Amino acid sequence: MAEIISIDPLTRIEGHLRIDVEVEGGRVVDAWSSGTMFRGIEMLLQDKHPWDAQQVTERICGVCPLVHGTASSYALDDATGVKLPDNARLIRNLTLGANFIQSHVLHFYHLAALDYVDPLAVADYTGSSLPLITLRDKFRRLAAEKDPYFFLPRYESPDYIGQPGGPGDPDLACELVSHYVQALEMRKKAQEALTIFYGRMPSFVGTVPGGVTTKPTISNTTAFKARMQELQQWVNDVYWQDILTVAQVPEYQELLRAGDSGGNYLAYGAFDLDAAGKDKFFPTGLIIGGDVLNTRKPGRDEIAKQITESVQHSWYTPECEGLNPREGKTEPELGKKDAYSFLKAPRLGGRPMEVGPLARQLVMQEPGFMSLVDRLGLLTEPLEFGILPRHAARAYEAVLLAAKLPEWTDELQAGIGGDIWDPKGAEIPDESYGKGMVDGPRGALGHWIHIQGKTIGNYQCVVPTTWNASPRDKSGNRGPIESSLVGLPVPDVDNPINVARCVRSFDPCIACAVHVIHPEHNGVKEFRII
Amino acid sequence: MTGKSVTRRQFLRHAGATAAMLGLSEALIPQLAGALQQLATSGKPAVIWIQGQSCTGCSVSFLNSNYPSVADLVINKLSVRYHPTLMAGTGRTAVQAIEDTVAGAGEGQPFVLVAEGPVPTAEDGHYCTFGLGDGTKTVMDKTVPNDKTYAQWLDELAPAAAAVIANGNCAAFGGIPGANAKTTGATAISEYVKKVDAKKTVINVGGCPSHPDWFVGTVMEALISLGLLPGGKGRLSLDKYGRSRTFFGQLIHENCERRPAFDAGLFLQDWNQQDPDMKLCMFKKGCKGPVTYADCCVRRWNSKVSWCVGAGAPCHGCAEPTFYQELAPLYEPLANVSLPGVSTSADIAGWVAAGATAVGIGAHYLYKQLGEKEPKESSEGGER
Repeated sequence: MAEIISIDPLTRIEGHLRIDVEVEGGRVVDAWSSGTMFRGIEMLLQDKHPWDAQQVTERICGVCPLVHGTASSYALDDATGVKLPDNARLIRNLTLGANFIQSHVLHFYHLAALDYVDPLAVADYTGSSLPLITLRDKFRRLAAEKDPYFFLPRYESPDYIGQPGGPGDPDLACELVSHYVQALEMRKKAQEALTIFYGRMPSFVGTVPGGVTTKPTISNTTAFKARMQELQQWVNDVYWQDILTVAQVPEYQELLRAGDSGGNYLAYGAFDLDAAGKDKFFPTGLIIGGDVLNTRKPGRDEIAKQITESVQHSWYTPECEGLNPREGKTEPELGKKDAYSFLKAPRLGGRPMEVGPLARQLVMQEPGFMSLVDRLGLLTEPLEFGILPRHAARAYEAVLLAAKLPEWTDELQAGIGGDIWDPKGAEIPDESYGKGMVDGPRGALGHWIHIQGKTIGNYQCVVPTTWNASPRDKSGNRGPIESSLVGLPVPDVDNPINVARCVRSFDPCIACAVHVIHPEHNGVKEFRII
Repeated sequence: MTGKSVTRRQFLRHAGATAAMLGLSEALIPQLAGALQQLATSGKPAVIWIQGQSCTGCSVSFLNSNYPSVADLVINKLSVRYHPTLMAGTGRTAVQAIEDTVAGAGEGQPFVLVAEGPVPTAEDGHYCTFGLGDGTKTVMDKTVPNDKTYAQWLDELAPAAAAVIANGNCAAFGGIPGANAKTTGATAISEYVKKVDAKKTVINVGGCPSHPDWFVGTVMEALISLGLLPGGKGRLSLDKYGRSRTFFGQLIHENCERRPAFDAGLFLQDWNQQDPDMKLCMFKKGCKGPVTYADCCVRRWNSKVSWCVGAGAPCHGCAEPTFYQELAPLYEPLANVSLPGVSTSADIAGWVAAGATAVGIGAHYLYKQLGEKEPKESSEGGER
């Protein structure tokens, strides 16, 4: 007998997400993903000064402001014809990289870990490490004070690490919880590092069209590098090790493959290694139909042309259906029949695409990651990458970037005294188009601007979580998160922990995903692609 | 919320079931089971933190809190019952925490409600929902529970709360979503709560995002004034915008580390031309410091690493109730500024009218405009 479980709020993500799943025989047979909050950020940008776009769009999301601001700056650079100075390129890479680490650490420890670890087991710690004994006593005090809120109530599951009868033991749980607490400091440090150049986080100010606002000095590059080295050690010794520990828990072996989204992956790439942005540390590419050994490498312009957005099941009028984002329309229509989300359904050549760390790492195929997935037995048919590989890809990116950022800081140090800004960024043309396509922590992000009469005529973003958490499209194709849920084991319908684990493995950000694309009034049909 | 005593009984049943499922070790069962069977009696103030048309930026900023740290606040100082981004519970178990807390409030255990993001009132509030509401709806031939609007949550929670804290510029004043209020009806929390419970104290925390010190400090002040923490019940002093006077009383411009450059008429125009000896004033790049009341320049951000002007960028005035709509364009110099003892405008008439009192911006900025030729090679004002 099929039963529908409605999960709302789906917590420990950014924003407002509702998930409905139909369960039959202990497995999910169908799923619906609904973004339930709408603001209309791009609407309010119309007629504004183009320079305001970066400040406004980074406020689309307080978890991912860095990548929105960065994408917006690239779009404005493009629209104003800027030649980005090398120092500005490096500072944008360093800040984006620091925020990747911040975001990934935050995601695994503070958003995801409580799905795998029983923090209450900390009270049963038996070891002799003084810091862990201190932590144990804090949790015992919580119990003595009769206040276990924050940790309870929760979905109960027999496979939390550390709970009686579950995997691991209280000592392992205690260690992981202590890493949760350390991670609070580490993510804070990663944000501090980038504020050396960008002023503050969230809502930073250090990038403008044409470059950045802080010149590299011996002092600020050294301060940045010192923090990165500290982070690098922690990411390698703690974060990466914890991921390996969790991935090898016998009870979780099913989660290696369960949660596969259907085998389509898309990465715009990130971290320009040359002035033109041709060569990137995280490459551009896509994988179709699970053919991971055959990565396709179209250019981003080609990718951009193939994007359409369906609103068949979104709360927008039918006139918004099937358009390329550059001509996109968004007119809300609440109460529309069979609509269930404020997210549109972006598709690439008609296909739903998973974006994010797993997509990037499968496109990048860096030997360290590929040997890990091989070790986990994932390179045998059928090729499926589920919940845990997403966490592993995220952690592996943190390892890669933590190693790379000190090198890039050295490069920046060598450029001290050089320019950081191309004044051309301040010369706003009467009419121009620009696009900024870059991968952020959650995946492929695109910003498009159309400048008309020196102000913003049209501004639009196609955002990672819109790809991942999208509803069905006109052809009835489920979005990647919906697809990933189908087939998932749900042994206890009152405690659908695997549904939450699966959705969270995508690191959804709903504030980002719901956006309005202003109707194009002036008949613009083609974006200038540079 | 209705049926408080019933909810309490339901809670007890739930607590027993949870403890059984936990399979706790023998030593701990009495402790935790006890904890669950009596609504938190730790004496730590309870907090419910809900999100409306927010970006979670103020929650992320809260995570940057240092003294006290977030871990210290959450484990030792407060009883955080609901926070959608951080709590362990999901779905019905998350909502259960709210219901328990409201039930506790009915039995003399007050909670403070933190709201992040304004409330959309258009379309019956359906521009923002979380949790399951009454009744059902049909989607693609499946019958599923209705959504519950953020407005409905405020209707229930605001009257039950000891006080409401609107955290961040958009909850407090509308902010960025408020700039599109014509579509969604985005309404500031204080305005909305006024209609639900006219006497309820709503305390605003400005900033986009709010500084962790502003938020934590305001929460502590509120808890002390409510008598939920020791230190002087009843002493809560708010300014005309409903904010704590502790954080929003100082003008950025008066305390700015780059004020000497302003006084010397040295304005940044080209970011390549920064002078390490005299940090140039950001006024010509649109700095809103002359109209923004906040203590950023002395408090600084992210463990005091920097702040906006410290990064060579203008202050955008994000702590002001008028942000964003009325402060745009952000990178254009302020056109008309009136301050006590300072007045200016972009034209000569304004300067002449201001006469002898035209100090600060008027005197220096306009002096540059009138008396000095702009240097040709953008050498930043040329005066040293």
